[in-house]
Amino acid sequence: MQLKLITQNVFRLLKGLTDPRYFQILFLSSFLAFGVFSLGWSVQLQNYLLIITTCLTVQALAIYYLDLPLHSLRSALITSLGLCLLFKAGEPAYFILAGLLAIGSKFVLRFRNKHIFNPANFGVVAPILLTGNTWISPGQWGSTPLLLFFFGGAGLMILFRISRLETGLTFLITYAILWFSRDVIYLGWEPTVTLHKLTNGSLLLFSFFMITDPMTIPNNKKVRIIWSACIAILTFWVVSTQYIQSAALWILFLGAPIVPLLDLLFPAKKYQWSVPENTSNSISENLKTQLA
Amino acid sequence: MKRIFIVSLLSLFYFIPKSSAFCGFYVAKAGSELFNNRSQVVFVRDGNRSVITMSNDYQGDVSEFAMVVPVPTVLSREEIRIAKQGLFDKLDHYSGPRLVEYYDHNPCEPQILYEVAATMEGSNRKFRSTKTLERDKEDYQVTVEATYAVGEYDILILSAKESDGLKRWLTDNGYKIPAKAERVLEPYIKSNMKFFVVKVNTKVMKMQGFQNLRPLQISFESDRFMLPIRLGMANSKGTQDMIVYTLTRNGRVESSNYRTVQIPSNRDIPTFIKGGKFEQFYVDLFDKAYRDAGKNAVFTEYAWDVSPNYGGVKCDPCVGPPPIVSDLLDAGVWWIDERSYSQVFFTRLHVRYSEEKFPEDLFFIQTSDKERFQGRYVMRHAATGDLSCDEGKKYVQELEMRRGKELKELAALTDWNVAKYTRYRQDGSGWIDEKLEMDKSDSPGKTGKGAAPGMLLLLGGIFLFLFLNYIRDLRQIANGNR
Repeated sequence: MQLKLITQNVFRLLKGLTDPRYFQILFLSSFLAFGVFSLGWSVQLQNYLLIITTCLTVQALAIYYLDLPLHSLRSALITSLGLCLLFKAGEPAYFILAGLLAIGSKFVLRFRNKHIFNPANFGVVAPILLTGNTWISPGQWGSTPLLLFFFGGAGLMILFRISRLETGLTFLITYAILWFSRDVIYLGWEPTVTLHKLTNGSLLLFSFFMITDPMTIPNNKKVRIIWSACIAILTFWVVSTQYIQSAALWILFLGAPIVPLLDLLFPAKKYQWSVPENTSNSISENLKTQLA
Repeated sequence: MKRIFIVSLLSLFYFIPKSSAFCGFYVAKAGSELFNNRSQVVFVRDGNRSVITMSNDYQGDVSEFAMVVPVPTVLSREEIRIAKQGLFDKLDHYSGPRLVEYYDHNPCEPQILYEVAATMEGSNRKFRSTKTLERDKEDYQVTVEATYAVGEYDILILSAKESDGLKRWLTDNGYKIPAKAERVLEPYIKSNMKFFVVKVNTKVMKMQGFQNLRPLQISFESDRFMLPIRLGMANSKGTQDMIVYTLTRNGRVESSNYRTVQIPSNRDIPTFIKGGKFEQFYVDLFDKAYRDAGKNAVFTEYAWDVSPNYGGVKCDPCVGPPPIVSDLLDAGVWWIDERSYSQVFFTRLHVRYSEEKFPEDLFFIQTSDKERFQGRYVMRHAATGDLSCDEGKKYVQELEMRRGKELKELAALTDWNVAKYTRYRQDGSGWIDEKLEMDKSDSPGKTGKGAAPGMLLLLGGIFLFLFLNYIRDLRQIANGNR
């Protein structure tokens, strides 16, 4: 009897965690902690705070004026954590700019009820194009198989929950096959060369946490698979001929405007964050029900 | 006393130009010559153009000297030149890790300012022998694209169809090719790389009267901001140290395919680390940092704006004179002249690579980061004289605590057994009790990171956010069920 009560309560408590964004926030902040404490990144605490505050403020304004659900703050926090992990600049103003552009892009650059760019990707790439004074550090995680377990484990769990497993894996596997063919089969390097490339933290983070953002990739599953394979092929091409190690971020940025077109041609259901039913109502509706 | 201490602390965190703001300073350096098996490279890069200067501090018989470097294009004669002998010394002295000494002011006496500055010259250069060259050619599917005589060097530029032919060609022409080299040559050949082969013309060298080989400089256009370290690894099983001085237009350079880490800097260390001990200190510090970073990181030792008309200080304190326009021109910085307002940013990277931990060639990117960085270690000398006044007694107490911290810092930075320095806390001496074993309580921990509490607060905030959201979701569920 008591056991039943306990399991019932545990089940009820777990039900509060249906939103996969909880885990995304948890993982991304633990990656940030790993970078700062274990990899000895030069800590830019005030800059992290600037990014997070800017992102949350812009999102809060949007919630207020555009009548959006309150839980969308979670998405903004995910974006800001992504920016903390990727975005580098010297002056504090650039961190505010990145936050503004990232969240702002969600509300300005839209097509058919879907934002075009991955907000974190836009927040990292756009300031480089606009100011030229910010940068990306593709080598900041180093390369070690440990990262594959660390990022991969966390990533697989999220991808499984948001059913975007195929996107991340297609990208990674395509990329791996291409590099293995070039480095090991064609050039005759040892396999460790390919392994070194594939266990690069930035690449893994990209494949498990950025290219898989359900809001900015094609809705149709088959199209998604082809699309992420294309991103992998283009990234491989740019890295192997132009030696731009951060190519994946640029390709995703440039490819984003094609996604609405793909959605138009191959329609499918848009992704919805699974939140407890009542929360998906907007604040005003909540207020109305409460007032009534 | 308090005031003095605050002033010297401030000078640690803010870059105050050399002035009487703090109580005297002394400068020593740990140059790159401390590290065995090391090589030095100056890498000037802007757009697609690279100028690479290689230091040939080879100590053996020069007739035995030869070097093979993969290059992306067939270089023309104008793209090969000899740089001034002193270039590397100048850059090394300017950017090497530095020791700064402060002298505490006696709280019981009126304040007197001291200013002492000196540098120490290094010695003993060591360089691993590379390959050896003689003459002749046959059909090995190897094309001699060009031959040049540049100063004391005879230079060949080879292109090859397959590694076996190239290896035979090199061996038959008297180069001692390491056994492992063949499989490393292959990928470079297939990547369309040419081979820049250098040997020394001893006759010319005798005629010119040079004792040492001068640095050789090559320039070329290439998309690759890269140093081909893999070929050098065929030589040895162990590790090799390389110092890369980069000169770029926009900002700091870092590796794009390995982790780039700042060397621990601005740490207070005990006052007995003087003279030759500072050099040993830095060697051990680097070794520990290298191990802590998983043996596969690249270390930033120095980063500074060295633009000719840059208004601020060019080092703080300076161990050697900062590079001037003629040095930059000699290094191959082509975008400056005496009058122009051109930007030049200097980065010193130190990499210790091994075959196992560095499977790929070393790629770089230029960032827009202009923040200054230097490897800087601070020594605070105790006040001397009568310290019997009240302030003085308090000072002595603080001094003992401070010395305790310095010892811990030393252990954390270098893994030295600091428990042996039994007298340091009391009299500041470096006397060692050899009988004592390592005290576990003094065993090095993680070197302190000032921002840790803030970072934990940030994470705490995120967890609070998650928790509040979670509670809200639970309530929503409860409401929904109702």
